[in-house]
Amino acid sequence: MRTDITNILPEECISYILSLTSPTDVCRSKLVSPVFRSAADSDTIWGKFLPSDCYDIISNASSSSSSKLLTSSMSKTQLYFHLCKNPIIIDNGTMSFGLDKATGKKCYMLGARRLSIAWANTPRYWRWKRVPESRFSEVAELKEVWWLDVKGTIETKILSPNTTYVAYLVYKFSSSRYGFEKKPVDLHVELGESDAGRTFRIFLDPSANIPQFSREREDGWMEVKLGEFFNEHGDDGKATCSLREVDNYTLKKGLIIEGIDIRPKDSR
Amino acid sequence: MPCWICSQMMKSYIWLQTADGSIQQVEQEVAMFCPMICHEVIQKGMGSSKNYAISLPQRVNPAMLSLILDYCRFHQVPGRSNKERKSFDEKFIRMDTKRLCELTSAADSLQLKPLVDLTSRALARIIEGKSPEEIREIFHLPDDLTEEEKLEPLKNTTDDPRIRLLNRLYAKKRKELKERQKLKNIEVEEERVDDRSVDDLLSFINGDNGDSKGIKNSKSKKKNRRRKDQQKNASANEAIKNHNKEPNGLNQVCHSAEVGQKVRPGVGATSNLHDVEDDIFDNKNELDDVDIDDEIDPALKEKIDSILYSFYAMLEEVCIYSPNDLSFYLLFREVEDFARRLNSDWPERMQEILSFGHERKPVHFSLNGNGSLRRYASMLLSFFYY
Repeated sequence: MRTDITNILPEECISYILSLTSPTDVCRSKLVSPVFRSAADSDTIWGKFLPSDCYDIISNASSSSSSKLLTSSMSKTQLYFHLCKNPIIIDNGTMSFGLDKATGKKCYMLGARRLSIAWANTPRYWRWKRVPESRFSEVAELKEVWWLDVKGTIETKILSPNTTYVAYLVYKFSSSRYGFEKKPVDLHVELGESDAGRTFRIFLDPSANIPQFSREREDGWMEVKLGEFFNEHGDDGKATCSLREVDNYTLKKGLIIEGIDIRPKDSR
Repeated sequence: MPCWICSQMMKSYIWLQTADGSIQQVEQEVAMFCPMICHEVIQKGMGSSKNYAISLPQRVNPAMLSLILDYCRFHQVPGRSNKERKSFDEKFIRMDTKRLCELTSAADSLQLKPLVDLTSRALARIIEGKSPEEIREIFHLPDDLTEEEKLEPLKNTTDDPRIRLLNRLYAKKRKELKERQKLKNIEVEEERVDDRSVDDLLSFINGDNGDSKGIKNSKSKKKNRRRKDQQKNASANEAIKNHNKEPNGLNQVCHSAEVGQKVRPGVGATSNLHDVEDDIFDNKNELDDVDIDDEIDPALKEKIDSILYSFYAMLEEVCIYSPNDLSFYLLFREVEDFARRLNSDWPERMQEILSFGHERKPVHFSLNGNGSLRRYASMLLSFFYY
């Protein structure tokens, strides 16, 4: 006679066992049976999957953001799923913080204001504007420039340890786009002082038979991979991610930058 | 000799009683390794004699007690190295899953945390990476879908296509449950034959090229199946071509898959959900009659898989919409069931996919009808299992 395991193990034990697996496994286990479903919703599990400094990060959130109020009243389970879908704005509105659903690892997006964009403060070349589809208060719009140099840095100590991270430039083209089909751009990521990093050269706006490396994101923006790096213990200093086209011969127009998204490899 | 010298030279024992009434004595240092027993001895003064034996929690039967005491006996010795302890633990947990669960439960009731950790980790490793179906098998969990009573239709004031789909699913489920009830009381075999339309009977008798009405109408009999499959292929291929041409709906879903994105419920997608819903339900009906052991033509398989795929993508939406809902659970089981009936080797493929899905290598493919099931399924699973 086969005995149902849920008659042997109390729900708290099942919750504890599930907390030793991964977020993915726990989500899947919700579909096993009602007892598993109930066990999978426990705060013990999701509290474990939240980053240890999660609450500190949230308390650092922009005080104007309503998310702070919301998150303080949530259970750990609710908070986990909330952060996976709704990144919160931190650091004076310059950065967003969220979680990767499958692993619970930290994801950040550096807003355009936080990036070093050459000539960004010269109105002739770049314009700052507010768009409703951005999570940040401002995005940078390229009017025209010859020297395109966009760079973002992030401290590895705020990232999750033992994780390979990928950096993406989050952008759109406006109707007046120009130059990106003529000249490829250099994409580069390097870690710390000593790492030379790797550079890829691609067309951001390729014409017909040329491979397209950008893809559309869920939020309607486009993204292109700048590169990746492995964060071990968070003591490698800064990771620097950049997109450049500085041959100075080609005029470029119409690029709208929301920011640089940094998230674990293979997350969506 | 005076008594006090005797008691000092004698070993101390603790008396324990399990729920079945049997009493045993255990060396003090071994028993005291369990916090619960320790508490009983120190706080309540129990366990010093047979009459004052400590009553152990019900979850601790004699077999489990014996295992637990073995564990305690080894670990309570202070001089052991970490390597020794680890080696002992690894051998100790080699037992079948049921025992592991019983042991976890027993250790938990005795508050023996190190052992709970050890057994829980072993069970966690067993669960990791497995599909819900496999987990159900491992733990002998009943398929309790039929016990779900809550199949009430949801209110759909905004005409949300997802709710519409859910309600259709509930209606089907209720119908199925009713039918299962009927089956328990009456002979059904005759009924089925009588259900065939005149057209079907004629085509069977004439042995002609099956019905020309396309996928939605077929109720195939075994003999005609090959021919009908060919017919289906022709229409399936047509359908695949047509789907590819559509700028929205199914194609959008598959195109998005190509670049690895998620489906957004935009206007275009919504207007084609009708088609997808219809496809899912009609295909399902058609396949009710198909013997699952027969080979299904690859082109038809492709079409079904692409439908399954889009269905899973929608499931994802439902999951976000109401992640803890019964609805999600039901939907998934429905699709699992559907997939299983389509293809008897689906469970093996799921396992294959799961082990390869772990690395989640980026998948790029084009929808030209030559895509393999594996890639579809891995997209499917990576979309779904999150």
